[in-house]
Amino acid sequence: MTDRGGVVAAATGVEALTTEEPVGRPTGWWGMVMFVATEATLFACLLGSYFYLRFQHGPVWPPDGIDKPKLLIPLVMTGVLVPSSLPVVWAEHGIRRGQRWRLRAGLAATLVMGLSFMALLVIEYREDLTHFTMTTNVYGSLFYVITGFHGLHVSVGLAMIGWLLAASLRGGSFGSHRHERVRNAAIYWHFVDTVWVAILFTIYLSPRL
Amino acid sequence: MTARPGPHARLTGGLLLWYGVLGGAAAWAVHLIAAWSLDELACAAKSERIAGVPLWQALSVAVFVPGVATVGSLLVATLVLRRTGQARAAGAHDRALERSRMLAVVGVWANLLFLTIIALGGVAVLVFPPCQG
Amino acid sequence: MSTTTSTPPGIGRDDLARLAEHWDEPRSLRAWFTTVDHKKIGRRYLVTAAFFFVLAGLSALVMRTQLARPESGVLSPQEYNQLFTMHGTAMIFLFATPMLFGFGNFLVPLMIGSRDMAFPRLNAFGYWVFLFAGLFMWASLPFGAAPNNGWFAYAPLNQDQHNPGLHMDVYALGLLFLGISTTSGAINFIVTALKLRAPGMSLNRVPLFVWAIVATAFMVVFALPALNTDNALLFLDRRFDTHFFDPGGGGNVLLWQHLFWIFGHPDVYIIVMPGLGIVSAVLPAFTRRGVVGYPLIVLAIVAISIVSFGVWVHHMFATGLPQLSYSFFSAASTIITIPSGIQIFAWLATMMLGRLVLRTPLLFVIGFIVTFVLGGFTGAMFALTAFDQQVTDSYFVVAHFHYVLLGGALFPILAGIYFWLPKITGRMYHEGLGRWAFWLVFTGMHVTFFPMHLYGLFGMPRRVYTYRSDLGWDVGNLISSIGSYVLALGLLLVLIGVVHAIRRGRPAGPDPWAGDSLEWSAASPPEAYNFPVIPRVHSLHPTWDERTAESTTTGATKDRILSEGKRTLFTSELDARPERAAQMPEPSFKPLVLAGVLLVFFTALLLGAYPVAVAAVLAVAATIAAWLWPPRRPDEEIGIAS
Ligand code: HEM
Ligand SMILES: [Cu+2]
Repeated sequence: MTDRGGVVAAATGVEALTTEEPVGRPTGWWGMVMFVATEATLFACLLGSYFYLRFQHGPVWPPDGIDKPKLLIPLVMTGVLVPSSLPVVWAEHGIRRGQRWRLRAGLAATLVMGLSFMALLVIEYREDLTHFTMTTNVYGSLFYVITGFHGLHVSVGLAMIGWLLAASLRGGSFGSHRHERVRNAAIYWHFVDTVWVAILFTIYLSPRL
Repeated sequence: MTARPGPHARLTGGLLLWYGVLGGAAAWAVHLIAAWSLDELACAAKSERIAGVPLWQALSVAVFVPGVATVGSLLVATLVLRRTGQARAAGAHDRALERSRMLAVVGVWANLLFLTIIALGGVAVLVFPPCQG
Repeated sequence: MSTTTSTPPGIGRDDLARLAEHWDEPRSLRAWFTTVDHKKIGRRYLVTAAFFFVLAGLSALVMRTQLARPESGVLSPQEYNQLFTMHGTAMIFLFATPMLFGFGNFLVPLMIGSRDMAFPRLNAFGYWVFLFAGLFMWASLPFGAAPNNGWFAYAPLNQDQHNPGLHMDVYALGLLFLGISTTSGAINFIVTALKLRAPGMSLNRVPLFVWAIVATAFMVVFALPALNTDNALLFLDRRFDTHFFDPGGGGNVLLWQHLFWIFGHPDVYIIVMPGLGIVSAVLPAFTRRGVVGYPLIVLAIVAISIVSFGVWVHHMFATGLPQLSYSFFSAASTIITIPSGIQIFAWLATMMLGRLVLRTPLLFVIGFIVTFVLGGFTGAMFALTAFDQQVTDSYFVVAHFHYVLLGGALFPILAGIYFWLPKITGRMYHEGLGRWAFWLVFTGMHVTFFPMHLYGLFGMPRRVYTYRSDLGWDVGNLISSIGSYVLALGLLLVLIGVVHAIRRGRPAGPDPWAGDSLEWSAASPPEAYNFPVIPRVHSLHPTWDERTAESTTTGATKDRILSEGKRTLFTSELDARPERAAQMPEPSFKPLVLAGVLLVFFTALLLGAYPVAVAAVLAVAATIAAWLWPPRRPDEEIGIAS
């Protein structure tokens, strides 16, 4: 109890309260964080539109006899995409210690996982397109535009990862003193992952609730 | 106050300051989105209950919890104001002190503002029947 | 104390020569296209936005000519639709915000004591995109294909079946294109203000103008995505037959309106906030004291920028929301007037407590206060729902928002032009000419827009290309039209004043107003590197403060001269403690190329040349990849573990 009291006193003392936080972030980090913030708002608007249109639409959702989305492929996609953040983290920690091989291996692993995600998305679309398309009704529009827009973001993220990998294979690009770009691309990739979870919930799980 | 705070305490203190500055704003955002969507969704479904709970009670939670969070934020901001005031009186003069003090002033007023908005929302919950157009 | 024998007083000639060598750009065509200097880019923003203002203003004059008399035939209804839409859209998106971003670009680095923006090449890119997007939109007018559905482009009238042709495609694509520029500019402002402040400029010493620009930038970051979503969905609806706004396919027209106003209400403050920042920057110089209640004004800026996101529903009360939902928003709408009021009272108090120096910039500030308060007053009348229902879509509304926008944006911008012209050009304007301009603009503005309240109340709807004479609106309209010519004359005098100053003005010297913020410590016009010695800031009014001045002369130190290379100082986020000297980028063609490729992309989308659009996307990716490609460095330098 006294110990905890001491912690609270320390954290609410004038020195702690005047601690500078956030501090020492590079400009590129701030730039990427702000970019991700505006992109996240974009997805929030899209997903908000989904719920708005859904609840204005009436009780039957998906409408017009479209089946509720099947879960198998999307869950596999989640299983591929979400863990793909781990190799990036591992790679980033590696290059901070100057271990170039970790950077290369980690990026390559993420690249493979991201590409598998895209391949699964194509399989998923091929199946869905036999039932409904973007022009069938508003459900179809929402479904394809939201997942497609996310797919576009995964592609951009993959381009970043591929670009990093190419630069690191050339050599002379990254090391323990120079890894800002790795950090920034990693932030973007984590963002793309996180958004997918929100999309999984909105597009695939929420119609079943 | 004699021992220098460790890095953990410093981090907590630094974040606490931001809670004191922006806590009310965040609480208000949560309040607005929660109260609005609860009301809209329930009324659109032609029901005055949410998962068995009467709508007005659910709405009261969406007012009360953010309200408490804002009061907490207000208290933190006043605490910073007092601590920096004492340090100043003791003759301390550094930029971090003045900067935190300025942020605390902003925090106190901002929290009062957001508390007022949330409280007005609470009054509305008591006054209006939830689904009247 | 600060002069020891080992440090020479001030800065040496060789340092100055080296700074000039690293920072000066040659006067060549190449340099013109490749510049990354925030001052040149800021100037271009100002000139380009002024150009779009002239186009939008001329559109307004043509409209007023048409409306001067009942049933005149200057314009066809279709032409009128395109003109008022282009006028509104251009004034909001191509004039107000870019103009204020122009001031921000020129001034923010100077005010915080930095040598450039955080991302100079991104800055150049943002300008080119703004220019191209503006031309993209205006180019549709001569083809009779300009947007024609009002600046907020309501659904369902924006849909293909109701509005065929390219009009609304131009709107959707043009604003998406422009959004790239606005977003990148906003992020640049935020990072610059966080990381590039001169050492010692902790958050409690940041100029109010910078606070205002940063708050605006945050609003842009979180508000613009709503507009972008809206326009992207609109384009998909129109071109690819999706059904977002189409009730026939299960969509909902109100979705457009909601998304638009989630952006639109913050946008009112995005437009007005930097203007308020200009007022706070101008006042100290003409009252000889700091603005009263600095923390309260910071509070007002922060609070407004947050609360402005929670009021959008007040644009949509006619849509059958439950009363209770509505009141959560109207609570915010009511409270947001408090911080606005705080600012007004702080300025009034500053003027009462200070010694007034009545020069043209101050005249415009006073004109701003009068006009803006009147606009706020008619705005408060809308809060009465019954009244709102009465005057919605009448000329009363047109009067109201012109009071707010001309008051909140145009007057501060004009104040800013006169105030900073000596800094930007190094020359003083002609005071008599300036006063004439003020009185003509002020009179013209009120003669134009005041009568609109009246014939609005008498029932004249907005957005009509003509009216019958038996309705009793003739006299009012004639007065408005005459007023608009007076206003135009006043604005012409502003332009003449600027040209006169550049050609004939007497040299202004670094600090003609005895101003308080750091830009007045730099030369007029500033050197390419802004500050020979980056100052060490000791107070909120650094130029009035001996110790700060001393830090750039006798107290100059190597770590703030940084003459080896094109370098500036990065400092910590809140307290501006020095972190490191950073190398700034050299001029480059890549920003221009990237913006050009994007122009190809959007034009191809507009014309339906989708393969070209795909090729352009690949070119965009290639350009960005080349832009950011890391130079090759030896392993020891980058730190490779062996
Ligand atoms: C310079 C003098 C100006 C004049 C004479 C003028 C005149 C007009 C006129 C005649 C209309 C059309 C009204 C209607 O038919 O409904 C209009 C609309 C509008 N104006 Fe202005 N205006 C001026 C400046 C500005 C400025 C500086 C701004 C903004 C910064 C602005 C923003 C707008 C907007 C947003 C609309 C609404 C367009 C729409 O209905 O979609 N105006 N103005
Ligand atoms: Cu509004």
